[in-house]
Amino acid sequence: MSDILLEIHDLHANVEGKEILKGVDLVIREGEVHAVMGPNGAGKSTLSAVLTGNPRYQVTSGSIRFRGEDLLALKPEERAWKGIFLSFQYPVEIPGVSITNFMKAALNAKRKAVGKGELSPAEYLSLMKEKMAFVGMGREFAKREVNVGFSGGEKKRNEVFQMAMLDPVLSILDETDSGMDVDALKTVAQGVNSLRSPEKSFIVITHYKRLLDYIVPDIVHVLKDGRIVKTAGRELVDQIENGGYASIG
Amino acid sequence: MDKQIYILGRDSVPEVITLDSPRDLGMILVALPGTSLRQRLEIDIQSPGCEVELRGVFLCTGQEQLGFDILVRHSSGGSTSRQLFKGIAGGSSHTEFNGLIYVAHDAQKTKAWQENHTLLVTPEAVASAKPQLEIYADDVECSHGATTGFLDEMEQFYMRSRGVPEAEARKLQMISFLSPVLSDLPEGLRDELINSL
Repeated sequence: MSDILLEIHDLHANVEGKEILKGVDLVIREGEVHAVMGPNGAGKSTLSAVLTGNPRYQVTSGSIRFRGEDLLALKPEERAWKGIFLSFQYPVEIPGVSITNFMKAALNAKRKAVGKGELSPAEYLSLMKEKMAFVGMGREFAKREVNVGFSGGEKKRNEVFQMAMLDPVLSILDETDSGMDVDALKTVAQGVNSLRSPEKSFIVITHYKRLLDYIVPDIVHVLKDGRIVKTAGRELVDQIENGGYASIG
Repeated sequence: MDKQIYILGRDSVPEVITLDSPRDLGMILVALPGTSLRQRLEIDIQSPGCEVELRGVFLCTGQEQLGFDILVRHSSGGSTSRQLFKGIAGGSSHTEFNGLIYVAHDAQKTKAWQENHTLLVTPEAVASAKPQLEIYADDVECSHGATTGFLDEMEQFYMRSRGVPEAEARKLQMISFLSPVLSDLPEGLRDELINSL
């Protein structure tokens, strides 16, 4: 069995004083794709926010270990340098900052943190070109301001593009399927699938079966009222599709 | 429209500009860090067919005391004025913006806009804004807006989650905030401003 990448133990977390996560336990090994499904308000997005260090959320008890290290002691950027990436449900618009400049700042900071030098402008541009083609983004995207005036599908493509640029070990996709048409969904899923490898793991957070037809998970969890109430193989997806979340837990 | 750039404290800025024939006037007032002064400017539009574009950008990083007293007077109708002031107040600086759009009784078909936005980046910085409209004509299009705000937490988290260090993320946020007023500046001046963020 491959090594444990992420280990969440009895995790409790609040947002604005309200307890959302009420004792989550989860173990993810290298190379695994986990789906976290659940009804609205179950705590799915809170889990992704806590994993990446969103300051609006407070962890009140429990632990998260990433490759054995205490993840909760790290700043959001330090978690990114360790190889954690969150594809946002609602990507943020940054007027006046181009995708090129934004990704350059992110990538060079990460390279510096792991003891590598900055990429030369030529190396950087060729990497950008390669990854943009990979998610089906036209060249003009490089100059556009981050997410400004993007359609829902373009925003999600841009998230997967950034994911490909940063080459994370653990990618969390938070409702990546929301606001996307089938074609965009297929392109994004194809991108994600080609990043799958024995070392890389994914957490795919979704409400619906649709995305999981394209990104097929190894393990499926159902999160309800702040706890994981059921864990099984991919057959659980069909059970939810047929019986709804009421039939689980 | 070509815009004349004035670096406050370095270039002399006319206190009163009178437009008595149809013409365009474009001005950008720039306050670099370390600029403490009160800048008064009155633009008196006495002719129809004038277009006025007035911009301001300021960056305070220390103990600056910076004030703007801006009066755009539409004495004649049929002209347009647009104002956009954006600035960052850091350190223990105090910034103040007093902006008055005055539209005279006979100045019909006037179009006048004024916007002033200040970003507070330290707890000690203080910004005040007093936007005013004084309109005596009834067939006009005028508006003003002023905001004083802080760096957006979600925007910052988004950047940090991609590995951009906090200080660099804050800098990118400030560039983002100033971008509408930076775009018209020559590259050298723009870089000077960005490098002092």
